[in-house]
Amino acid sequence: MNARTARLRDFDPILLLAALALAALGTLLIHSSSLTQFGSPTGFDFTHPVVRQAVFASAGLILALAIARVDYKVLGILSAGLYIASIAALVFVLMFGEESFGSRRWILVGGILVQPSEIAKLVTIVALAKYLSDQQEAIGNVRVLLISLAIAAVPAVLVFAEPDLGSAVIFGAIWLGMVTITGARWRHLAGMLMIALILLPFSLIALVSDYQRERIDIWLNPESDPLGSGWNILQAEISIGSGGLFGKGLTEGTQTQLDYLRTQTTDFVFSVLGEELGFIGALVLFALFIVLLWRGLRVAEVSRDLFGRLLATGLVIFILLQTFINVAVNLGLLPVTGIPLPFVSQGGSSLITLFIGIGILQSIVLRHRRATIRDFFDS
Amino acid sequence: MQLPPTNRRRWRSRLREPKPTELFQQRFLLLKVLIVLLFGVLIAQLVRMQIIEHDTYEARAEFNRLRRVVVLPVRGNILDRYGEDLVQNVPIFSAGVVPADVPDDQLESVVAELSRLLGVAPETIAASILEAQESDDPFTPLVVKQDLEERTAFLLRERQAELPGVQVLVESIRRYPAGALTSHVLGYVGRISPEEYTALRENGYQLNDRLGKTGVELTYESALRGVPGYDLVEIDAAGREIQTVRSVPSRPAGNLVLALDLDLQRRVTGFLQNAMGESSNAVASVMDVRTGELLAMVSLPAYNNNLLTDPVDEQAYSKLLTDPSRPLINRAIAEMYPPGSVFKLVTGTAALEEGVATASTTITSRGYITVKREYGGGEDIFYDWSALGTLDFYGGVSMSSDVYFYYLSGGYSQNGQQIFRGLGAERLASYARDYGLGALTGIDLPGESPGLVPDPTWKEEVIHEGWFLGDTYHFGIGQGYLAVTPMQLLLVTGAVANGGQVMVPHIVREIVDDAGNVIRAVQPQVTNEVAISKENLKIMRDALRQAAASGTAQSGASSLVEIGGKTGTAQFGPKLPDDSYETHAWYTGFAPFNNPEIAVVVFLERGSGGADAGPVAAQIFDYYFGRRLLADEGGPQ
Repeated sequence: MNARTARLRDFDPILLLAALALAALGTLLIHSSSLTQFGSPTGFDFTHPVVRQAVFASAGLILALAIARVDYKVLGILSAGLYIASIAALVFVLMFGEESFGSRRWILVGGILVQPSEIAKLVTIVALAKYLSDQQEAIGNVRVLLISLAIAAVPAVLVFAEPDLGSAVIFGAIWLGMVTITGARWRHLAGMLMIALILLPFSLIALVSDYQRERIDIWLNPESDPLGSGWNILQAEISIGSGGLFGKGLTEGTQTQLDYLRTQTTDFVFSVLGEELGFIGALVLFALFIVLLWRGLRVAEVSRDLFGRLLATGLVIFILLQTFINVAVNLGLLPVTGIPLPFVSQGGSSLITLFIGIGILQSIVLRHRRATIRDFFDS
Repeated sequence: MQLPPTNRRRWRSRLREPKPTELFQQRFLLLKVLIVLLFGVLIAQLVRMQIIEHDTYEARAEFNRLRRVVVLPVRGNILDRYGEDLVQNVPIFSAGVVPADVPDDQLESVVAELSRLLGVAPETIAASILEAQESDDPFTPLVVKQDLEERTAFLLRERQAELPGVQVLVESIRRYPAGALTSHVLGYVGRISPEEYTALRENGYQLNDRLGKTGVELTYESALRGVPGYDLVEIDAAGREIQTVRSVPSRPAGNLVLALDLDLQRRVTGFLQNAMGESSNAVASVMDVRTGELLAMVSLPAYNNNLLTDPVDEQAYSKLLTDPSRPLINRAIAEMYPPGSVFKLVTGTAALEEGVATASTTITSRGYITVKREYGGGEDIFYDWSALGTLDFYGGVSMSSDVYFYYLSGGYSQNGQQIFRGLGAERLASYARDYGLGALTGIDLPGESPGLVPDPTWKEEVIHEGWFLGDTYHFGIGQGYLAVTPMQLLLVTGAVANGGQVMVPHIVREIVDDAGNVIRAVQPQVTNEVAISKENLKIMRDALRQAAASGTAQSGASSLVEIGGKTGTAQFGPKLPDDSYETHAWYTGFAPFNNPEIAVVVFLERGSGGADAGPVAAQIFDYYFGRRLLADEGGPQ
């Protein structure tokens, strides 16, 4: 039997609840860190970051549930069109995008700033899943590997040009994870890794802009300019370190409330958590992420076909990498890249994309069983 | 049976190829390991930051949040002995910048706006902000421009929100209403120098602090400054104050009540200016001989200390520094001169005490004495200022006979036979030191010179020559190597007048709080009790009375009060073509004779004691006692 039937009892509530819990925690942190500038939200005020985030999260939830109803196979059919559209959006953003903090990442759609690179990550996962599942038999073939690399490389190069080094790295990692799961040969992967390592120093010199090089320099030695570009790295470290085991309490963090942190609702929201909720708060956050990722991997494992499996794997790697890079930047382990913390950081594009991802995962898990006689009777 | 090798290999590789589900299991495990590994790295770093190094980061967060804002008490007042204000604290507005509070990306706009509002070159502002950002104290406001017009200050304060880090500071500066009249006594207050800051930062001084630079502003700095308090203020990242967390009040400064009598100081300055003539500088000082209180201390030329107190008039400052008459030097204590005949007070009392002479010892001055050279033959001639005839001790002092004092100090031999035994250089030097010469007086003003009391050992060590009888003769009449400050001579006179006590001279009488309660009274202090009997001091006083009544010191006598006095006309510099020397004029005296209250010293560079210095002393005595007579009669003071 080939018919796919969605079964409501296969819906994964834990996966959805973990995502909602993260979004709720994020809204709480955004509330605390926007208090000084915006105060508490009074009524429905869409300019208030807390209200915006809650609205985006609700929209995301509805979108996720809607997508869960749709068979994910549809994505496979649409993948080529979606891919081309997202590439076009990335090109458009490069030419006409809104600039902020030295890079062009946003386009204005109906008064809302949309970050196409977030959507592009999702679409690239879909496109890669489609291509790799179609070509699985030939995955041992270098040509297939290179074509799949090209699918990831085009958007990677475009976001790299924004410049957004962090997102470019994420595209690479998604590709690597997905071809590994598909069954690419170790020696092919090792060979490509070698080539990448050899090219890395050259590409750093030739391609990385002064702006990115300065970010790396300042990451290595933030004290060299404590009041300038090293400021936020130092202040993030101070915020997190001073939080200690239990934190200073929500809305009680001096670093956060006195504006020592910048972009504290977006890229540095983890520092707010570190300061106000402490080590325990961070462990709770990590636990929520691990639950989410584990349930995501389960979806990949139980998926009835390779397309669903690769789709789920890509989404898990995407969320894992974004989380790791964002937190590592907050902890001073990586240079500042501008990667948001999934579900937590303020930002509509990221939140909507992630909830679409959750919807896709649910769509896969709802249809993972082959239809049985009993299903016929049930329906 | 053997399969073809190629076939077998294919078959084996088929076998090794895992089934799809196995492959997925294997690679999903890898992904799970990766998840655990990545979160493990994050947790390890969190443990380091939030648990192991928590204290360090917490301290840094507190350092971020809290700033100590020093609250200086208003600098203490300075009053003369009758309560006249000698200083004023005037508030001025200054434009300040807290370097740490200027964000990098706004530096340019802040500097441009400040430059436009204040009219200071933008490069200057930017350079000093950048320099201070690198310093170890980027939180103390940097003063960009002082003494703003009120309008500018208000404009700046209104626009503070757009100018992060910029503050309008209300500073208090010193004004000295009497200016040059009191500058050598009061000194002035100035901005702390980098060297002073390094030395004093531990005592709570700040980068932009002010402190006394000289005069009593310097010596009584700690009393005048008070103890600064501070506010512990919570600030946000833009440097705006959110709230005061803790406030430690400052302890108010003390006010100085000086011994100085401003009215007398003004008169003495006038008398001295009128008498200066050719003199380029002059000194006069009046001391209460019973306490060491200085009622007047004038050193001319003086300077207007308002030009040197912050904000400094740079042009005027460099002009004062290069002025050849060196008006910044307080010559009453900082310069040393040969005392000339005034030193006969010391030689005379020493000779009496040592039994070298009595009141009735007579010596005849034929206008000179001759002394055989100790080496090489020939004779040296030592002159008196006139052939004064036979004199007893009173006559020797009152006529200021040099021959008389040659005898007392060096003795006299004729044809190899000693006909008079003198004190000798060592004993004379020892009495001179007893009177406080050759040492600091301990006055409460900076910049004192100790002067010089020579003796044979000193000459051997410093000049590498033996001591001759001629050196003793010169020493005995206050010439030669001997050098004293006017203040030291005033103390010698005071000691003769008060019965042998060399006082510690002092300008400040007491330190009082704002309600007038005495915090600290400066008690009269005696440096040394001179080892000379009351009787012998009385003989010297009588001799000084005779000098003022009928001797060489008549020009200093007062018509209102009986005084004892002595002139000095001290030679200095090289011998002139006509065999004479240039001379400094000295006069020193005390009054009233029977119950001495004050001693006076007058010094004029290039002048004669009797003709130039004496009349000034007379005017001082007249004014001082005349004013009292008027007051006693109920007339205007």
